[in-house]
Amino acid sequence: MSDTGLVLKDVYRVFPGDITAVSDVNLEIENGEYIVFLGPSGCGKTTTLRLIGGHDDPSSGTITIDGELLNGVSPAQRPVTTVFQHYALFPHKSVLQNVEFGLKMQGMDKTAREQQATAAIELVGLSAMMHRKPRELSGGQQQRVALARVLVTRPKAILLDEPLGDLDRLLQMKMRVELRGLQRELGITFIHVTHNQEEALSMADRIVVMGDAIIQQVGTPTELARHPRNEFVAKFMGDNNVLHGTIESASGGNVVINTPHGKVEVPGSGTAGEKGSMAIRASAVNISTDAVPAVNGVRVRLDFVEYLGDSIKLHLDFNGEPFLAKVDEERFGEVQAYEGKEVTATWSVEDGHLLEQ
Amino acid sequence: MGGSSAVVATTGPRRSPLTTVAWILPGTIWLLLFLIAPLVMIILVSLWERTPVGFAAFSFSLDAYGRIFETSVFLDTLKNTIFRSLLVTALCILIGYPIAFYLARCVKTIKFQIALFIVVLAPFWVAYVVRIIAWLPVLGRQGVINYFLVEVLGVVDEPISALFYSTFAITLALVQLYVLFMVTPIFFQLATLDEAAIEAARDLGATPGKVFREVIFPLSLPGVLIGCIFVFVLVMGEFATVRIIGGGTIQSVGTLVNDYYTIPDLPAAAAAATMLVAVMTVGVAILLRFSKIREVV
Repeated sequence: MSDTGLVLKDVYRVFPGDITAVSDVNLEIENGEYIVFLGPSGCGKTTTLRLIGGHDDPSSGTITIDGELLNGVSPAQRPVTTVFQHYALFPHKSVLQNVEFGLKMQGMDKTAREQQATAAIELVGLSAMMHRKPRELSGGQQQRVALARVLVTRPKAILLDEPLGDLDRLLQMKMRVELRGLQRELGITFIHVTHNQEEALSMADRIVVMGDAIIQQVGTPTELARHPRNEFVAKFMGDNNVLHGTIESASGGNVVINTPHGKVEVPGSGTAGEKGSMAIRASAVNISTDAVPAVNGVRVRLDFVEYLGDSIKLHLDFNGEPFLAKVDEERFGEVQAYEGKEVTATWSVEDGHLLEQ
Repeated sequence: MGGSSAVVATTGPRRSPLTTVAWILPGTIWLLLFLIAPLVMIILVSLWERTPVGFAAFSFSLDAYGRIFETSVFLDTLKNTIFRSLLVTALCILIGYPIAFYLARCVKTIKFQIALFIVVLAPFWVAYVVRIIAWLPVLGRQGVINYFLVEVLGVVDEPISALFYSTFAITLALVQLYVLFMVTPIFFQLATLDEAAIEAARDLGATPGKVFREVIFPLSLPGVLIGCIFVFVLVMGEFATVRIIGGGTIQSVGTLVNDYYTIPDLPAAAAAATMLVAVMTVGVAILLRFSKIREVV
């Protein structure tokens, strides 16, 4: 076990009535990392965050930070602080009073704590709002106050529960960059919980995908986007086509799987006769008017076209099942496809990706 | 958060003026009939001249005010009433706050909370006068306390009658009668506090005492304020409790109004009532101003 950073070892949380919220979580987070817990609601990501923050206790397993055991330590005594989902600012206190609260609780004298709080407020760009009450601020500004309020206590890690969930989309984009910049500047570990994969991909050093109370995969945004480990991750990360079938043969580092979508060849190994699943990213799928090839190709009907600005997402239909492709405008123009038209979707062997069963 | 609700309100479908009037009308009629009209009537009567059987309508004079301020009785009683109201209000906070706090924050299950709250409300099921008279077996000459003092402890030779007919007894009875008006608003305020703010305070290192002082108490102040207004206004207008427990020896503005009424001096009674309403209005205005309620909620 590493003695720097935050380490979760064999962590379980079982609620009364035998409801397992978190199961078999093993994770090492290095100091200064930006970690995003990603998953659908009810997957255990918020419970895990609460376990780290000390707002809930694990049923078994240990949580340590820099080698120091956190189990049983009250939230107040932990060197980690939480930014709560709806900010949880003190409505009766001004911005300055909110931010200096943690220092006041530490017993710091008034001059020193006001000085540090002022610096933190400056850091999040709210100097002009110092004496306002939270309700006089916009959602984005409240979010920054919540951030300044935890930054000022200099925790080893900051836990953020859906920090951008209350903001409109444009502000979300802006805050993503700001949060990330702030984290780099301070070098503090940020652990961020979200159900938004786009947010996770754009902010994280590493993403922890959770589903059904367990960690499904841990990896960098690129790893998760390119190499989802299983069907859950492939589907949750979005824009992946998942095909199931039976392995027909394996040779030369590739396997051929017999699927309802025809034969597909993907890099990997397996035993003939066993079940096999593969994922293919929508952006790796090409469309044409050519005939369907022997492997890695399906005849599909164009259901509808979604313009994404820089690319075009095609919602295709294969015998009633959805199939996704993402192409650039030029390619789309060449095919001269229209909604209802039949086209051929193909991809190359190396873009396919074998999934764990 | 506040901003978004305002946006919703203004983007709703536009109502016709007639609908607006229809919404406002019932409340307006109610207020006119049962608040404004009686108040105007009392003020008018206070300005009319006294006759042996009542008053002469539309004979304007300030004589009634002259009569009530002729001696120091009215002013002294008014001062006493204000002092008693403030004292009872303060005692109600001291006793009511811990009760409300226990109910709202120490009792864990909602079921148990509601059950206990109903128990707290139980005195309200008993008629008002019965609740006052119930003090007799406790504080009366042959009451429990006198029994203990004389028979058990032997510290006094004779039962103390002043135990019942005293300002002490009145204060005690008033606190018992009105403490619920303090408990209820504080209870609801405490029960609906933003739990996340409390959790955040703990997370930032606040001890239970500090959480209370820095977060819970300030956020419960609107409830305390509403309780104060209830208790202050009700005790200011008190009449029956003072009459029964005071036994005629202790006055409140309420009993004075009754006295003027039985003389009969209806304009003086009306003048005294007008003064009472004026003082209560000023009192409530000071409470609201002093607490800046809008900044808290």
